[in-house]
Amino acid sequence: MYNKYINVRKGDCMYKESISRGLRKGISTTWELTKVIVPVYFFVTFLKYTPILNWISDFFTPVMKIFGLPGEASLPLVLGNMLNLYAGIGAIAGLNLKAKQITIIAFMLSFSHSLFMETAVVKKTGMNVFIVLACRFSLAIISGIVLNLVL
Amino acid sequence: MNLLGFLKESTFGSIKSVYKLALIIIPLMIIMEILKDLKILDKGAKFLSPVSKFYNISKEATFPLIVGLVFGLAYGAGVIIESAKESNLNKKDLYVLIIFLISCHSVFEDTLIFVSVGANGILLLSIRITIAVVVSFFASKVIDKIDFNNKNL
Repeated sequence: MYNKYINVRKGDCMYKESISRGLRKGISTTWELTKVIVPVYFFVTFLKYTPILNWISDFFTPVMKIFGLPGEASLPLVLGNMLNLYAGIGAIAGLNLKAKQITIIAFMLSFSHSLFMETAVVKKTGMNVFIVLACRFSLAIISGIVLNLVL
Repeated sequence: MNLLGFLKESTFGSIKSVYKLALIIIPLMIIMEILKDLKILDKGAKFLSPVSKFYNISKEATFPLIVGLVFGLAYGAGVIIESAKESNLNKKDLYVLIIFLISCHSVFEDTLIFVSVGANGILLLSIRITIAVVVSFFASKVIDKIDFNNKNL
């Protein structure tokens, strides 16, 4: 009977210990990510308040043809990549696009989006940023070209 | 430029994203510690061992993979950073994991966003996962060939 009591107490202790350890790890991980997320958030919001994104979008307008997209579709792609998916999707809604074109943009954005934020977070793990960006861009570009041909 | 608007949006926006992050990461870490102490995490790793065998990566690497797939890249990265601190992951694990996760992450949220504008969600998700599996498999083979873990890259 005593034995049982001891076991229960021991189990109880272990449980509390795991919770406090998890809490500590959770807070330290949140803090590590906060140090990355906050500055990038300020930078990205700053971009949003300048005409820079429109310039970039204008710059890519002629390239849209290889994906079977109208020139103005560079806006959702630039916003999705520089800001986040919600911004990109918001820009799609403002354009008059066919179902096929929306699918193409969706695929391209699903492989490559929120580049500043996600790359900064991934860099924190020690991963090579160049490989990350090369991988995402090539997936987005190849999927755009291929889908335009097969759909 | 509207400076006040910028400051307001970035301050509140960044507080909101950190809050959202904490809301997921802290309970996640607590649950993981409990599961670890109850040895359930080991059983889970055994269950996912086909995945780690397929890529020839450590068993521990499958958890950040699942977390990233379900919750998103930042959360997966958070778990990776924590595991890396405990040195459960080697360089190959990290590269295969990240290459998988950058191609495909937060499958629920991202897919639903695209469905909301009329994209075909099932097609999008299945192709995304397939591409992620293929690209990271290719990456794991390349890494095996160049004997990555012995190099200081």
